Amino acid sequence: MERVLFKYVDEPEQYRIDNYIKNGGYQALPRVLKELPPDELIDLVKKSGVRGRGGAGFPAGMKWGFVPKDIGRPKYLCCNADESEPGTCKDRVLMERDPHMVVEGIIIASYAIQAHTAFVYVRGEFVYPAHRMEEAIKEAYEKGYLGKNILGSGFDLDIIVHTGGGAYICGEETALLSSLEGDRGLSRIRPPFPAIKGLYASPTVVNNVETLANLPHIINRGVDWYRSHGTEKSPGTKIFSLSGNIARPGNYEVDLGTPLSYVINELGGGVPGGYKLKTIIPGGSSTPLLMPDQIDTPLDFESMAQAGSMLGSGAIIVIDERACMVWVAMKLINFYAHESCGKCTPCREGTAWLKQIISRIENGGGQTGDIELILDACKNIMGRTICPLGDAAVMPTESIIKHFRDEFAYHIEHGKCLVKTDYPFE
Amino acid sequence: MADNGKDKVTLTIDGHTVTVDKGTTVIEAAKNIGIEIPYFCWHPKLDSVGACRMCLVEIEKFPKPAVACATDVMQDMVVHTNSETIVKARRGVIEFLLLNHPLDCPTCDKGGECDLQDNVFKYGVDTSRQTFTRKRVIDEDTHTTFDDKRIGPEIIRNMNRCVTCFKCVRFNKEIAGEYDLGAYQRGADTVIDAPPGRQIANLYSGNVVEICPVGALTNTDWRYRVRVWLTKTADSISGYDADGQNIKLWYDHRQIFRATSRRNDAVDEGWICDIARYGYQYVNAEDRLTTPLIKKQGKQVESTWEEAIDLIARRFKEIKDKKGSVCIAGLAGGNQSTETIYLFNKFFRHVLHSNSVDYRLDYIDLKDGEDAAAYNSLSSAPFVIADLGKTDAVLVFASNFIKDHPIVNLWMRKAHRKNNARIFTANPVETKSADISEDELIYRPDTEAAFLAGLLHAVIDNKLYKDIDDGKAADVKGMLNPASLSEAADICGINADRIIGLARALAEAKNPYIIAGEYLNATPHRHVLANGLYNLANLLSVADGQAVIPASHANSAGAERVGLRPTIPTHLAELLAEKWGKPLPEPPGNNTSKILKGALREDIDSIFILGANPAVRYPDGPFVNAALDKLDFLVVADLFETATTAKADVVLPLAGWSEQDGSFINLEGRHQRFERALPPRRAGIKRGVEIIRKVAEALDVPLEEDDNALRRETEEVLAAWKCQPRDRNQYYPVRPPAAVEHGDYPYRLLTGNDLHHYGYLTEHCPSLMRFTSEAYLELSPRLVEKLDIAEGDLVRVESVTARLMLKAKISDFFEGEVVFIPNNFSAMPVNELISHESGGWVKIEKLDE
Amino acid sequence: MILNDATVQNIKARAARYPSRRSAILPALTAAYKQMGYLDADIYLEISRIIKIPYIEIAEAASFYTMFPKHEVGRYLIQVCHNISCSLRGADNMIEYLQSKLDIGMGETTPDNMFTLISVECLGGCSAAPMMQINEDYYEDLTRAKVDKILDELRAKAMQEEK
Repeated sequence: MERVLFKYVDEPEQYRIDNYIKNGGYQALPRVLKELPPDELIDLVKKSGVRGRGGAGFPAGMKWGFVPKDIGRPKYLCCNADESEPGTCKDRVLMERDPHMVVEGIIIASYAIQAHTAFVYVRGEFVYPAHRMEEAIKEAYEKGYLGKNILGSGFDLDIIVHTGGGAYICGEETALLSSLEGDRGLSRIRPPFPAIKGLYASPTVVNNVETLANLPHIINRGVDWYRSHGTEKSPGTKIFSLSGNIARPGNYEVDLGTPLSYVINELGGGVPGGYKLKTIIPGGSSTPLLMPDQIDTPLDFESMAQAGSMLGSGAIIVIDERACMVWVAMKLINFYAHESCGKCTPCREGTAWLKQIISRIENGGGQTGDIELILDACKNIMGRTICPLGDAAVMPTESIIKHFRDEFAYHIEHGKCLVKTDYPFE
Repeated sequence: MADNGKDKVTLTIDGHTVTVDKGTTVIEAAKNIGIEIPYFCWHPKLDSVGACRMCLVEIEKFPKPAVACATDVMQDMVVHTNSETIVKARRGVIEFLLLNHPLDCPTCDKGGECDLQDNVFKYGVDTSRQTFTRKRVIDEDTHTTFDDKRIGPEIIRNMNRCVTCFKCVRFNKEIAGEYDLGAYQRGADTVIDAPPGRQIANLYSGNVVEICPVGALTNTDWRYRVRVWLTKTADSISGYDADGQNIKLWYDHRQIFRATSRRNDAVDEGWICDIARYGYQYVNAEDRLTTPLIKKQGKQVESTWEEAIDLIARRFKEIKDKKGSVCIAGLAGGNQSTETIYLFNKFFRHVLHSNSVDYRLDYIDLKDGEDAAAYNSLSSAPFVIADLGKTDAVLVFASNFIKDHPIVNLWMRKAHRKNNARIFTANPVETKSADISEDELIYRPDTEAAFLAGLLHAVIDNKLYKDIDDGKAADVKGMLNPASLSEAADICGINADRIIGLARALAEAKNPYIIAGEYLNATPHRHVLANGLYNLANLLSVADGQAVIPASHANSAGAERVGLRPTIPTHLAELLAEKWGKPLPEPPGNNTSKILKGALREDIDSIFILGANPAVRYPDGPFVNAALDKLDFLVVADLFETATTAKADVVLPLAGWSEQDGSFINLEGRHQRFERALPPRRAGIKRGVEIIRKVAEALDVPLEEDDNALRRETEEVLAAWKCQPRDRNQYYPVRPPAAVEHGDYPYRLLTGNDLHHYGYLTEHCPSLMRFTSEAYLELSPRLVEKLDIAEGDLVRVESVTARLMLKAKISDFFEGEVVFIPNNFSAMPVNELISHESGGWVKIEKLDE
Repeated sequence: MILNDATVQNIKARAARYPSRRSAILPALTAAYKQMGYLDADIYLEISRIIKIPYIEIAEAASFYTMFPKHEVGRYLIQVCHNISCSLRGADNMIEYLQSKLDIGMGETTPDNMFTLISVECLGGCSAAPMMQINEDYYEDLTRAKVDKILDELRAKAMQEEK
């Protein structure tokens, strides 16, 4: 299968601008600046059908199209490099190994919406990836791909790398903008949408690292080529982070629409150690489970939704029979309770309460009625919050209980795990 | 659905049709037809955040329930506020909020007026599914059984009760623009607190208690004292500054327990300053005067009202007969009710036949007549508070605006926030307004007139004037001294470019305001400054109500409009004569300055002071004290013993504003009535009108109007008041006075109110005393370093006339060498340092231990 | 002054690039953390003066971000991921191993002030689990042997630097 984003990812020093250019880089940008005025560029990207690769899957071109022109306010582009969805570790590879591809994508996207300042919001722990991005940006300035009058086009652009402080919620676009503005990273109600009123109350587009990395390729090789990968509604390739109980964990780029089984078995080598596959979290910890009998589900937005889950960030977490699912649920709810921004009642109080109840079940203190209580609390959180974090906490919880209710019941009745989990560290 | 004009929207809520303006939110549209959608975090005056999720409603065609507080109505929208889904969602929110909310109701101050109680009652369920121990927020500063933490002089926080609606921090930051309350951490660990090591102590801090929907924020004033359902309310008006804040007094048969806002969208929008909130407390003070005092053999002894009134009448008659009524003068405080002042005026003019009456007790060298034409015009300009919220440029001149006009200040901040209004301040010191000012022009002390001249030059030189021809502009330039912008810039120490920048900003604005304040009123050459402002307003064609020297106190405007001053407009004189049945007395009267000078010369033998304390408030201590001491007969009616009552031959216990019905006129000329809460606790305390009637009767010229008739008459007189528009062709000379030689006294002392005090009564308000309990010398960090002082050090401040010892306080705002001492504390008579001789110049020395 | 010249210059340079000065809060906190290894109220006060943003806003922002310790920590801050992907590959046992090897509990610092141990949420090293971050560096695909080696090397480095 052709690698597009990862084509040069194993080349040593691909991150240097000379190598990037040698391997075909910074060809899309001059073409865009010379031949594609912003409106046409937006159209082209719309036609390509590229969808957001951060988790939401919103068509990038459509998002760009929402930005109002001529309203007397500056526009901003934010590259969302806050990669914090558990299981996901793909954007980091792009930033570390092929940062110029991301930079070129940022410049193209900024040009499309006529933003003259772009930000790369990198999670604070990614010191090395942020460093690589800063170096690449510096090189780009030196070569005239950034700054004033880029390549004589009259288009100015500055990119600022902005590192976070350890908050998953800052990957949610409105919270990202709050954080960028200097506030605590609280989510904001929508409407108004960031494309209309975002950073500093100005039109802002937030795109994921991988989404932006697609742009130079789409420009270079065209819409038809791009759409020849993937499916009708989910064109292109995607990088999937494969982790958990798998023989060959890693990041794999495949066409969208590839069956999940291909990634897990052919590329990932299946579950090692002779253990049975128990369940799969297919798109990052916020997505509902897929069961082993669903392993052939194609990895595209529609098919995953139809199977009752989501493509999400593309983080495939493989879980074998050794895992107590209450333990898994507890690990996840601990995460969401820890990361809740605290602004809206259902998420703030609800995730904390769910954490208490699930922890008590895991620790042997579960009470009759706890399962129903969890599910009812979930109903009061789902769809009732400002941002999707509430939903993200609820969906895996509900899904785990749906498929493994017996384990919860066992815990409550017997005060201990049905499956004793003890993943070794050797 | 009906066909609407472009600006109206018709929608359906729970089957009822409602038409509202475009831009209205669903929650407000519902309120219009009596449907109360519940909420915690919504507030009509704050930007909606959609945080509590209590106001979720189902809207057809929306994918999921939406927050009514932040969803604008759309044509033909169909809203359901009580569907099964919504009822469950609400119960969910309440259950979540109650998970950790402590069962403090029996001891929580908010009981009976708590949004959470009300919503639980309406929308909650009987049983709780919470089986875990409730979370408690405790740090090293929390204490008491209920985990309270004091986070400010008045404010106590109980984080356990907080529903994290953020209204307190949103108000504090967005509306008040203060930086002493915030939200920290995240998720369920979120806490509300002052920043580390600090307290919430701003002038508007009490509003966070009122705005909190639960008992998470309470104040010492109300804490544990009474249950709200055991109190009654009286509609009242704050009796301190001239903004006219609408308040409610809550009381039972014994006392007043608190004041809260009584939202008036034309005046205060529901926000009141702490002085309005806690300033009622002096009414409850134990040390109120309760019986008249008469000076016998040099000592004041308690006496009866009969004896006191008898003595007053006798002495007035004696003086009148011997030397003429022109020898008796009347001074009333600017916080007396309009009816009281009206009757006081009538007493003096109609009964005593003296025109020597005045209410302007804070101004030295008071000038009336031609010199004051510009000042009089600007001080009666038809200013409308709410219109300030729409301005696009403001010049605040000679005013520490937050202190002078705390609520108008919020409107100005609102204009800045919502319209990006350009704010400029021109002052002798840096003020809080710096945070929203495009430029803060700080002129050298006492060079305001030169600064204004410079500003006028800037307007003329750059042809920024409107509606006058170049020849006239050149004439105006000729009336200015100094004669050029560069000279003026040198004198006042402000770069000429910045003055031009200010001129341009005002000229470019569509809706500019020029507002002056108490630093202007404090100078002896205020009329010169008024001339300058008048010229500026005319050159820039500023609308009449938008160039103003606002009234200073709660009822200064009232006193002005019922004519409590020696010279009054002809139409008013005629009206009063008509009302009182005979023409006003002939010999011209004296204003405050002339009265006091007259007292020194022994031309004035007697003064009747009603509700004022000039001995410490008049900004020339040596002069006013010498004058008052020289009087043959001084009568003072007040609530407390003061430095002024100490000099009196007769002291009369006066009722406070909450102890009577009455009215104040605010700086807009808005006539607002206030209701009596409780009558005076002691029979010996009498209202001003009662005292005046008693004296009049004893002089055989009874004033017979009862309170209703008095009120009617006062209102008729007020109704006849006419605001004179500015004469657009009139310009005045601007000539600064000669600079005061201040030789060995290098620092200029300013005085005025402490942030949390006003006048001399707030010393009797325990809550305000919690903020500041004694006078201090406020200096800039730079000056502190120069003088080698630390915060709290005792310093000696000395002028040619006096010296005082006080503690040093490092200013949050000052940068230069101007210093400040508040004049609200009886133990520290600042006005002793200020006099004609000293000009307010002092020297400062650190006191060794 | 707690923050050194380099840090102050760094903060000022970064602050100058943003359209709004408030955006400099997070970069300023990051720069200060890089120098100090933790943040506290005195640092917020200094940052407030440097970028001219009210003290409260620095304090509020800092309090939100869990990456910055709010009190002094050891020379090496060991942050072990305890989220799902790492846990499926033995993170729980690795945490126990580290605790027993360093002889400290979670959140504690070794008596020689060398190591502080905390566990954190997903660090984005999922395909190389289990892993940990020590100060700015990621250590992935960990085994007992690797952990031993890393700790020894860090100790040696510390000794070296002390000389």
